[in-house]
Amino acid sequence: MEPVIDVVNLSKAFGPKVVLSNVNLQVQEGESLCVMGGSGTGKTVLLRNIMGLLTPDSGHVAVDGKIIQQLNRDELFEVRQKIGMCFQMAALFDSMTVEENVGFALKRHTPMTKAEIADRVDECLSMVGLKDTNKLKPSELSGGMKRRVGFARAIALKPKILLFDEPTTGLDPVMTDVIGRIILDLKAELGMTSITVTHDLKSAFEIADRIALIFRGECIACQTPGEFKVNPHPVVQQFLRGDADGPFLQDPPPPKRALDRALFHPIHID
Amino acid sequence: MLNSMLENLGAKILVLLDQAGDFAVVSGRAFRAIFKRPFDGAALMHQFQSVGVNSIPVILLTSLAVSMVFAVQLAYGFKQFQAEGHASQINGLAIVRELAPVISGLMMAGRVGSAMAAELGTMQVTEQIDALECLATDPIHYLFVPRLLASAIMVPMLVGLSIYVGYWGGYLLLVGVEGQSSVVYASDFFKLLSFRDLRIALYKAFVFGVIIALVGCWRGYRTHGGAEGVGNAPTSSVVTSSLWILISDFFLTKLLLV
Repeated sequence: MEPVIDVVNLSKAFGPKVVLSNVNLQVQEGESLCVMGGSGTGKTVLLRNIMGLLTPDSGHVAVDGKIIQQLNRDELFEVRQKIGMCFQMAALFDSMTVEENVGFALKRHTPMTKAEIADRVDECLSMVGLKDTNKLKPSELSGGMKRRVGFARAIALKPKILLFDEPTTGLDPVMTDVIGRIILDLKAELGMTSITVTHDLKSAFEIADRIALIFRGECIACQTPGEFKVNPHPVVQQFLRGDADGPFLQDPPPPKRALDRALFHPIHID
Repeated sequence: MLNSMLENLGAKILVLLDQAGDFAVVSGRAFRAIFKRPFDGAALMHQFQSVGVNSIPVILLTSLAVSMVFAVQLAYGFKQFQAEGHASQINGLAIVRELAPVISGLMMAGRVGSAMAAELGTMQVTEQIDALECLATDPIHYLFVPRLLASAIMVPMLVGLSIYVGYWGGYLLLVGVEGQSSVVYASDFFKLLSFRDLRIALYKAFVFGVIIALVGCWRGYRTHGGAEGVGNAPTSSVVTSSLWILISDFFLTKLLLV
């Protein structure tokens, strides 16, 4: 079966810093892929390449069999209507209300009337649990609410593909779980194909059909959560443990001072 | 020493050429986008308001101040050789041909161009422009076109206003203070002018309007580097568009007046 998103030998460098090198990923229709990796390993750059916001140095990304980098702008916009992107910081239009944000693409790309758009906006907002926030400005929302409005905006056009850029970073554990459920709901209800970039192991194991790990610009694992857990690769195991010691970091981590002090200079508490 | 100097010079020239090329490409895309659908009437009205209507007080005050101070200088200067009668003629000539378009253009670069750069710059660093792209909306079409149209239409209208205010500024000084005849002032103001002068003034204003909008939007669109970048964008947009207003003023005058 032809994959919906096909990332082939993708490489991208900013100046001397190689961010991605030879990354290959295939995402099938209806599949949910989680991309994990340390900070600054190019996960966001991967999503931006898929969206066509960046041009790869070599390799390509194909969405629905169309190579993004070879499309002209009109064709690119046509493909982008099928993709919903949720930004890390939500990137809501701060001069518009929540309602206008969510209805933005509907107003521009569909022949829907105002009433139909309002209905669809309400539907999307209730899907992310934000009924009756229509008239608020983004500055009046909390971080988690902003992100959920960003979700609503991304799903308004009923895209086939959803890309989430760190949807849970900086949220409390409860809100993280809420976001995870929203992603699962969207997948179950709308059958969307999704790529989620995340640091959060718990939510990754919940939502992913497959998990990919990017390490120093390369994709070193791409398998089901069950296989990923038992992957013997030392980097994978260190990532799962969340331990600073191991091959994951380029520079050696600072020693565990607290532990040293406790072992060699025990403090007596009376 | 010499090598590194040449290297620096070359690098600077390359950056300059790179920016000029980028500006040309973005401007070309903006002009082409004018004719693209969907046409956003509400955004255009909003820009008419913020570029045009909201600039009226600034243009009123600057035109009045400049025309009055110019009339003072003329009255004083012509008095040296007993030719006060010519002051109103020269005042009219200067206001219509140069002062109104250039002063209004510079003021608008400061008021409107910088606001555009700051607004688009903030949108760029907060990923709102990327979000536009992801919602399959061309930022150049959505953001540049209303600003470009509003600026190209409103700046000539504001220059018309500026000329009108300039007339009364000179009147206030030459008739009210210097005691010249108001009837003579009214006819002398236009004595050295033909309709062509007004047309040239409006042509200039149109070009200035296009420069202000394009430079302001382009600087904002190309903002990078967080808060500092957003801080630099308006400054450099005002400097760049003011420079280009003055340079293009020279060439337009030279071309259109012969």
